[in-house]
Amino acid sequence: MTSSEGVAPSPEGVTRRRRARPGKVLAPYLLSLPAGLWLLAFFLVPLVVMLSLSLQTCNSGTGACVMTWHWGEFWSQLSLYHTQFLTSIYFAGAATIIDLIVAFPIAYWIAFYGGSRKNFFLLMLLVPFFVSFVIRTIVWEFILSDQGIVLGTLKNAHLLPQNFHILATGYAVVAGLAYNYLPFTALPLYVAIERIDKTVLDAAYDLYASKREAFTRVILPLTIPGLFAAFLLTFIPALGDYVNQQILGGTNNTMIGTVIQNAFLTNLDYAGGSALSAILLAIALVGIFAYARLLGSRTIEEYL
Amino acid sequence: MQDQHSPQSESNDSHIDPSIWRGMTQRRMSRRQMLRAAGTGAGALGVSAFLAACGVKGATVTGGSTPKPGGVGSPSWWAKQKLNHKVNFANWPLYIDVLKGKRPSLEHFTQLTGIQVNYTEPISDNLPFYAKIRPSLQAQQYTGFDIIVMTNNSPPLGYLINYGWLTPLDQSAMVNFHKYASPLVSNPSWDRGNKYSMAWQSGWTAVGYNSSLIKNPGTSVDILFDPKYSGKVGMMADPQELGSVGLLKIGVEPATSTESDWAKAAKVLQQQKSDGIVRAYYDQDYITHLKNGDTVVSMAWSGDIFQADLNSKYKDLHLLIPHEGGMFWTDNMCIPMYAQNPKDAMTLMDYYYNPEVQAVVEYYVNYVCPVPHAQQVLLNPTGWAAETLHALKPSIGLPFSTVANAATVFPDAQAVQASRPYYQYKSQEELTAWNNLFLPITQGS
Repeated sequence: MTSSEGVAPSPEGVTRRRRARPGKVLAPYLLSLPAGLWLLAFFLVPLVVMLSLSLQTCNSGTGACVMTWHWGEFWSQLSLYHTQFLTSIYFAGAATIIDLIVAFPIAYWIAFYGGSRKNFFLLMLLVPFFVSFVIRTIVWEFILSDQGIVLGTLKNAHLLPQNFHILATGYAVVAGLAYNYLPFTALPLYVAIERIDKTVLDAAYDLYASKREAFTRVILPLTIPGLFAAFLLTFIPALGDYVNQQILGGTNNTMIGTVIQNAFLTNLDYAGGSALSAILLAIALVGIFAYARLLGSRTIEEYL
Repeated sequence: MQDQHSPQSESNDSHIDPSIWRGMTQRRMSRRQMLRAAGTGAGALGVSAFLAACGVKGATVTGGSTPKPGGVGSPSWWAKQKLNHKVNFANWPLYIDVLKGKRPSLEHFTQLTGIQVNYTEPISDNLPFYAKIRPSLQAQQYTGFDIIVMTNNSPPLGYLINYGWLTPLDQSAMVNFHKYASPLVSNPSWDRGNKYSMAWQSGWTAVGYNSSLIKNPGTSVDILFDPKYSGKVGMMADPQELGSVGLLKIGVEPATSTESDWAKAAKVLQQQKSDGIVRAYYDQDYITHLKNGDTVVSMAWSGDIFQADLNSKYKDLHLLIPHEGGMFWTDNMCIPMYAQNPKDAMTLMDYYYNPEVQAVVEYYVNYVCPVPHAQQVLLNPTGWAAETLHALKPSIGLPFSTVANAATVFPDAQAVQASRPYYQYKSQEELTAWNNLFLPITQGS
């Protein structure tokens, strides 16, 4: 490219240059090829296989599946497990809201007051998450056990009734989800807040805004795209989570992820499990599209 | 101009090399177009054909439970097999003697026979493991394992037998087995004549309870349904285990139960849940909750309770085999079809029926021993067994007699009598019916 820079921009020169470089036209495609192949191999193909399986009828013994176009599978799975879907949406939603409330001050503080140690604080936020989340959840199971170091001590001090327990409740599941997905909320929020030009705050104060007004009318509106990105990044993985419920939950708070896992592993019911996964995917997609309509697709691309 | 959204007009505003802009914007345009084209194109071509072509291939099941003359597993076929001096053994985790990172019983085997054992522990659950080896079996290929260990209370063992995916054993090579195998595991109901399998270890699924909180446990499975322990009862999530206890509760023998019995059992279990008696439905972590005091009584596996008892902190945990029966399960060694080293596998499997070898394994794993003679070895060890047992002792810290005299390792007549076999599913439909009754209980919302 640089060698041709010196050529006088004559009309012939332009046409010659364009003809000389078919690679220039292809470059963007070639650059996107690895990502495209990746998506094809690890997203599109499995997705199509999943959708295909959900319409087949399988023998769980031999593993033989026959395409029967059994659309009723979706309906029957939904009628069996709609409450588990609702529980998942409810738990994931509650955990996401908790995360937003917890993560916002953290992100705000690091972005505005972190100074030269911003990266250190961000690292501190992430360090616990270098350990597998299954292990961390099991540690919570240990910490929160009925006679464990926390509840046992409080019970012995007669600060809690003997039959009080946190494990095996929906609260424990929501708390586990909120704990495990916190970085997914905090990081996009941090990116959004970090981008705010600090001088707009001074401008707000110059215009006689109180601290609260400056926050609600300047900071918050500027972070809304980050809030939504954080919401999606937290809510969608939490929706399909199957670890927290199994480790921390009890009898009446099964999430859909567990049902799907059982369909595949306990029942070897690939058709049913695929149908449930497809429904879950549809719910997540509806969420994303609703968001895109609300804020425009550009903000998604910026923050996700 | 209105309807023409020209990417070039945007690029004029920027200071970046126009060619890059063009490339990027063009890519975006074409990506969108491509998606649209893909959508309509696929529609035109017929998504149906595409979808139908994907997914899991059908199996060609060979079936047939008796080996054809000269076929795989027949005496003449076995006569032709040679030792390859290697064997791939897939077992469950923590299920064999270990000393300083080595496995004494396997090393002894290699010394005696010159057969190298590649021992791995990839099995943590029957169905997922079955799902992993099934594609190889369907394709009539070596699964990578010469010996696998499958439990008789889970569907895969039956599947493997019914679909002809196990190599019939060489009965003439089962010298130790025919001499020493316990009546509990020889000629068992799940594999008559031990055509396909030899037990590795067994155990009971019974009731574990905390004696410091439950003074008078009684002798019945009713303890799991007692409102006194509301919210402190642990049940197992596995539908086979859960359903079997439900059947014992309503006084029905699981092995001879009918579908209407299952429905009744499910109703009782559902009631137990809605009354708030069950704390949660657990997998293998039930033992942690019983140890922590989250549960005071729980469905439990005999080996877990025995091992928990060894720690003075948990000596209050006891095993109760209810008078209605304790579900007796067995993990079985089998040789999958298309195994490359079947003769080596047979040699290894029979080797573990040597009482001396079994004594060493049992001292370490503490499940129900398939070789009653191992009890005598533990009480009076000699030779290699004595050497190895004494080497293991510091890390286990247990007198040999404790293991030898444990009723949960070498069951007494009473325990044998209380043992109940699981229901054997006769068809896919039966299993589906069973799961559809008991799975909704564990995954309630």
